[in-house]
Amino acid sequence: MRSIERGTSVIEITGLSKTFVKSDKSKKTVEVLRDINVNIRENEFITIVGPSGCGKTTLLRMIAGLIKPDAGTIEVGGRPVEGPSPERAMVFQTFALMPWASALRNVAFGLELRGTPKKEREEIARTLLEKVGLKGFENSLPSELSGGMRQRVGLARALAVNPTVLLMDEPFGGLDEQTKRLMQEELLRIWELERKTVVFVTHSLDEAILLADRCFLMSARPGEINKILDIDLGRPRTRDAELNPKYAAFKKELWEHLRQAQVEDETLARKVNVTE
Amino acid sequence: MFRWALGGASLLGGLVCLEVLAVASGQPFYPRPTEISSRLGDLFVQGRIYSSLWRSLQNLFLGFVMSLVSGIGIGLLCGRYELLERTIRPYVNALLTTPTVVFAPIYFAIFGTSRWSIVGLIIHYSVFYLIINSTTAVRAADRGLIEMAMVFGADERQRMRLILLPSALPLIFASMRVSMARSVKGMINGEVLIAVVGLGAINQDFARVFDLSGVFAVATIVVAVAMLLSFVLATADRRINHWVPNVRKS
Repeated sequence: MRSIERGTSVIEITGLSKTFVKSDKSKKTVEVLRDINVNIRENEFITIVGPSGCGKTTLLRMIAGLIKPDAGTIEVGGRPVEGPSPERAMVFQTFALMPWASALRNVAFGLELRGTPKKEREEIARTLLEKVGLKGFENSLPSELSGGMRQRVGLARALAVNPTVLLMDEPFGGLDEQTKRLMQEELLRIWELERKTVVFVTHSLDEAILLADRCFLMSARPGEINKILDIDLGRPRTRDAELNPKYAAFKKELWEHLRQAQVEDETLARKVNVTE
Repeated sequence: MFRWALGGASLLGGLVCLEVLAVASGQPFYPRPTEISSRLGDLFVQGRIYSSLWRSLQNLFLGFVMSLVSGIGIGLLCGRYELLERTIRPYVNALLTTPTVVFAPIYFAIFGTSRWSIVGLIIHYSVFYLIINSTTAVRAADRGLIEMAMVFGADERQRMRLILLPSALPLIFASMRVSMARSVKGMINGEVLIAVVGLGAINQDFARVFDLSGVFAVATIVVAVAMLLSFVLATADRRINHWVPNVRKS
């Protein structure tokens, strides 16, 4: 693999477009993404925020290699994306933990798949579980863990395969407000230890600002990246960043943009409902 | 402890009622629990039961195991490969719903008086149920988990072995227990209708002379066998599928 210097692009997306065909009888097509062009640099924490249905999750899944583009290219680490790979590990909104396996086994799963010997992979998994704050819970089943704890396992699993890029698909969407806030702070702390390149999809304005180095704003369907905000709130970052006046300015700018997109989306929805 | 006692007490109460009814009715053919236990005693003491029971159990074991292997195997493949499922669907549906007793003469015609006619019937009774349930079990697997496995680098075989199979096991085990009961039914039907050996033979000997207590005695043995196997399966189920959260409130 080509070595990547700091500041160079680790993800290059050019002219990316995607159209889905509706699975109902109408066979209507839905243009989900239109001409996406962005570069993401090494060690950057990118958040993607946009109204529901704007294609942000589709974009993430295309970087992951789970969906193929109709036009355009995605290159990660200098090579085109051809399918899912642990180099682009993911953290899922639904956690996606194997319910029959312990936390330890879940975290070690990626290593198990690539044939890492048991002792070695359990060692790595144990270290990571401690890193994410779950020491002592190695043998717990997912059903014995709270939502926040399950997502910590998900995060540890993704980190265990030492990915080039960490993809996070609304990872805290299924958690209650307080757990969410705690997990955001935990993520900042854990990220600071290694500063992996992260692409984080969310519909929460606070998350989009608090966690990011740069924030991509997407429009309603068809999704385009309308704006990129440079979130210069300093690193290492804590919850205190919320007190920075720039934070409020970012949030205002973000909402003004998104509100417009949300209104447009609802207008479109109403139009569609009226004509059908 | 209390829950066990409740079932046991209910059973005892039922037997007492039956005894009372039998005596009150005055009918010689009415099965009486005291007579049933005396028949059971005779069978075990006189030693006739052992070879018959052994023979029946052999047939049951052969039939059930062959059912499991082929039923679950085919079911898993059908769950994974839709074309295969579509191809064999008409056969499975037809054979599952046709009254199985119709097929006894067919197996007799093919295998004659050898044990394979009974084993064939046992398999017939239980395999289609296993195929359908195993297919459903695979279909019901969590798509999100399979996607996760793909992201982390699992190939097709790893996905089947590490995700599909463990996901499917709880439902497969549940269907195994029902399938076992069907196998027992197939065994008895087979022995009574076809070859008249084993427990079925003893049953027919009692039935011929209207010794209903004797018939019930055989039934008791069959039930005991089935319950023992059910217990074994339930224990295995609990151990292997320990992770399934218990929705029932105690």
